[in-house]
Amino acid sequence: MKRTLLAAALLAALPVFAQQKPPPAWHQGKPPALADSKLAPLPGRMTETPADEIPVGKLKLPKGFKAEMWASGMPGARAMARGDDGKIYIGTRAIGRVYEVTDEGAKRTHRVVVDKLTQPSGVAMHGGSLYVFAIDKVLRFDGIEKNAAVAPVDMTAAFDLPPEQHHNWKFVAFGPDGKLYVPFGAPCNICEPPKEYAQLRRYNADGSGMEVVARGIRNTQGFAWHPKTGELWFTDHGRDWMGDNGPEDELNRMTKVGLNFGYPYCHAKGVQDVDFKKADACKGVTLPVATMGPHAAVMGILFYTGDMFPKEYRNTMFVARKGSWNRTVKFGFDVVNVRPSKDGKKVSVKPFMTGFLEDAKAGKFWGRPTYFLQMPDGAVLVTDEQMGAIYRISYSGKK
Amino acid sequence: MRLARAGRWAWLTAFFIAAAQAQPAAERLAPCAACHGAAGVSAVPGTPSLAAQPALFVENQLVLIREGVREVNPAMAAALKGIRDAEIRALAKHYAALAPPRPAEPPDAQTAKRAKTIVRKAHCASCHLPDFAGREQIPRLAGQREEYLLEAMRAYRDNRRSGGDTLMAAALYGIADADLQLLARYLARLP
Repeated sequence: MKRTLLAAALLAALPVFAQQKPPPAWHQGKPPALADSKLAPLPGRMTETPADEIPVGKLKLPKGFKAEMWASGMPGARAMARGDDGKIYIGTRAIGRVYEVTDEGAKRTHRVVVDKLTQPSGVAMHGGSLYVFAIDKVLRFDGIEKNAAVAPVDMTAAFDLPPEQHHNWKFVAFGPDGKLYVPFGAPCNICEPPKEYAQLRRYNADGSGMEVVARGIRNTQGFAWHPKTGELWFTDHGRDWMGDNGPEDELNRMTKVGLNFGYPYCHAKGVQDVDFKKADACKGVTLPVATMGPHAAVMGILFYTGDMFPKEYRNTMFVARKGSWNRTVKFGFDVVNVRPSKDGKKVSVKPFMTGFLEDAKAGKFWGRPTYFLQMPDGAVLVTDEQMGAIYRISYSGKK
Repeated sequence: MRLARAGRWAWLTAFFIAAAQAQPAAERLAPCAACHGAAGVSAVPGTPSLAAQPALFVENQLVLIREGVREVNPAMAAALKGIRDAEIRALAKHYAALAPPRPAEPPDAQTAKRAKTIVRKAHCASCHLPDFAGREQIPRLAGQREEYLLEAMRAYRDNRRSGGDTLMAAALYGIADADLQLLARYLARLP
């Protein structure tokens, strides 16, 4: 009897066990109508692009603003973190490196801090230490600005990273609460993910005290805290293979801990999923403050708090849209300025930096903006992952 | 007179440097040819053909191997130690311009029929294109060595491919070994 029960329990447990591995990301959710589609992820560049081959002059900005080449020769450059002594650390994906940039006034030099990592896109500075998040590894470099040769402390075990890799390259940041915020994307295009995924967590700096702060997030690659309200705003990539026009990427606002942002059942401003259907799919879901365009690939967010730009930009957001691949006519490849209303429930979205996309129909582009860093003088740095370069945006017009 | 000669010498040097960057030096190509074949068509089991591979694909893989992100056999890793980006680009351009491998015989009708069903289900052609010539960062599969294709697909499926695209691993998720064998047999025989 006991044995039968045990066998039954085992049998019942089997399908659950089988489901622990997520379904395939790529073709999952590709409808028959798109079976012959030849859309594919856009190619990145892993060799150095010389500065004189980067057409910075093609960038367009509002009157009084200027973009100039600040640093180059760093293939795959994404998120930036600045130390107290002014050194800047930059994460990458495929090439597996973290760069360190030293500003020498007239020019910038860089070196590779660490390499051979699996998509170390997450970088953060905290208490003089550099935190590096790869998909499967967390390293901490103490006092790195003063001691370039410091050996890293391996923090991987403390953060308990789950094994699936897809959508689990990271953007990370320390919040105003001193906690380290780390996203765990859905390991697929569309699926009911295992419980460790599709969420945002926060940890103490040493990896202890883990707390899931939000769920139903497909793939956030950027977040920042409002300088006045302290609320977290984050970008989230919409799913692929539901057609050219949606579901759109999201800009979300986290008003409290424990909210559900809808994935995989409810997308954008209430679009029900076509593969994973359930009744009242959007019930209890916190919808985005704004949608940011179909397949736009929304990346980093910067709340501007500097003195250099005109006052109207104070406490507004810059959001990078790296640009679409799962769309026949390309969209994004720009930086937008997003201005929230006082209550944070509405925003206006205006183009800020354009010119990366040369022919949307032909899919011709030269650069893909990804992340920001506000400098002490109020200028803003922008990374271009495609060119492996950093541009400096300054303002010299009337205020 | 002396000045003119110096000027010509500088011009010639510049010419040779430019030529060296555009085309890989013979001594750089020789070790490649030893395994990958003089015409980029490999006769060595486990070693891929490089002829007619998209330039960006070759470029990316050489960078990943140089960086130690993609782990390959020690001889290959040693051959790329310290190679500069300009040399990598020249090598990639060289192999992309070579004529594709010519399989001795086309796939038999039954293999082709069964393989096409899998191709359709797994959406292989979406990225690799219907003729499997590849494009940009996506490799050519047509005419590649059969055992190389099979091992590459198994490595992706079983999460053993270091430095691989996470999308590709997901695309082969759960595909049976027999199906991978069939795909490899089919693709290797495509012109």
